[in-house]
Amino acid sequence: MNDLEPDRRAELIAAALSGELTPEEGAELDALRVADPSVDAEFAELSALVGGLPAVERWDDVAPSAALAARIAAIDADDADAPAPAAAPGLAAVPEPAPAPDDRADAQLPSAAPVTPIRSSRRGLRPLLLLVGAAACVAVGLGGGALLTAPRGAVEGPPGTLGAIEEVDFAGAPASVDIDGALVAHTWGTETVLTVEGLARGAAFTVVVVGEDGAEYESGTFLGSAVPIDCRLNAAVLREDVAAVAIRSLEGGQIAVAEVPSV
Amino acid sequence: MTIVATPGAAGWSPMSERPPAFDLRAAFDEHGPSLLGFAVNALRDRPLAEDCVQEAFLRAWRARESFDGERGSVRTWLFAIIRRVVLDAYRARARTPQLVPQHDAPEPVTSTDPLERIGIVDGLAQLSAPHRDAVVAIHVSGLSYQEYSQLTGVPVATLRTRVFYALRALRTALDEVDPTP
Repeated sequence: MNDLEPDRRAELIAAALSGELTPEEGAELDALRVADPSVDAEFAELSALVGGLPAVERWDDVAPSAALAARIAAIDADDADAPAPAAAPGLAAVPEPAPAPDDRADAQLPSAAPVTPIRSSRRGLRPLLLLVGAAACVAVGLGGGALLTAPRGAVEGPPGTLGAIEEVDFAGAPASVDIDGALVAHTWGTETVLTVEGLARGAAFTVVVVGEDGAEYESGTFLGSAVPIDCRLNAAVLREDVAAVAIRSLEGGQIAVAEVPSV
Repeated sequence: MTIVATPGAAGWSPMSERPPAFDLRAAFDEHGPSLLGFAVNALRDRPLAEDCVQEAFLRAWRARESFDGERGSVRTWLFAIIRRVVLDAYRARARTPQLVPQHDAPEPVTSTDPLERIGIVDGLAQLSAPHRDAVVAIHVSGLSYQEYSQLTGVPVATLRTRVFYALRALRTALDEVDPTP
């Protein structure tokens, strides 16, 4: 267990998410990550979340106008005179509400025209974000590579075989950096498995899967560490469509790339 | 003589009384700004967003008998309603090309997946204002913590911690996004 105050843990993770760790803070976070594996997991989750935020572009603070307040107030006033208040002018009329069938707040919703859910049941939005953007990493210390070399079942076969480990060679990395990589084809995408040693500790890196058409699919992010780390990252692209896997700095600089054979 | 026990009065017990029923005007006063914030930022169209808020409160009012405060908060219920209304409005607008003067056109919203963007806006709208402001400043506007600290007068360490807990709250809000088919 770590001895840091919870707020210090929060502070360090927040700084890492925005790439603002000082070298001293990087060392402090490294020590915390070794002592507390939940740090890496939480960083990966929040990193995926943060990755979707720029799509918001900006936030407009607004306050309801007096006119809107009057329109809302008129709803129950109208209801006293007539049982069916008018729908908002820009929207469809409101059908009768349905009874609540179970104890979920959503189930109490008044019914309306059929709608498509934001996400399929049980998953919500965040897990989908994670599917395309999460990195599950652990610092393994000396003698690392345990995850990479751990048996994953008896699946063997040529590149592209579902569930089989396909070792790939990363080229271009600085001499001080050691990267072992592999891909695993899945029905839902391509998993990249990495064991990395020698990247600047505390610095953030992204893993990008490059499609044969040049499209890029972000797999996730991880922090460099003073000890070897194992990472598993997923991209929403099928192995048959993958041409390369690249590791980059958050600023976009290429650290290493692995070209993969067509399947 | 009739004695009515109310919250805060002697004899009223939260264990023995049902939560208060849906109060339209109180709900609008308390949650209207957040709901409008969600609609405006999801649609980038203030008039349409106000229509959505009105529609959401209208649906809530008409369904008030089915609302059970013991099952969830008014806020959660209203957000679930307006989420549907906004998505319906978004899709209806997307299906209806319109020729309008350029200065009247709603601002384009760019995203690879508009529904994901709306989901994130939904989550941001449910954060407290200080949490949302900090997340937007750092991770949407791209300010550094130092820059945001200078703007707000809040220490960097405090802002970092605030953003961390805001992101946790956002993650929780996104987990609770309505999956109703």
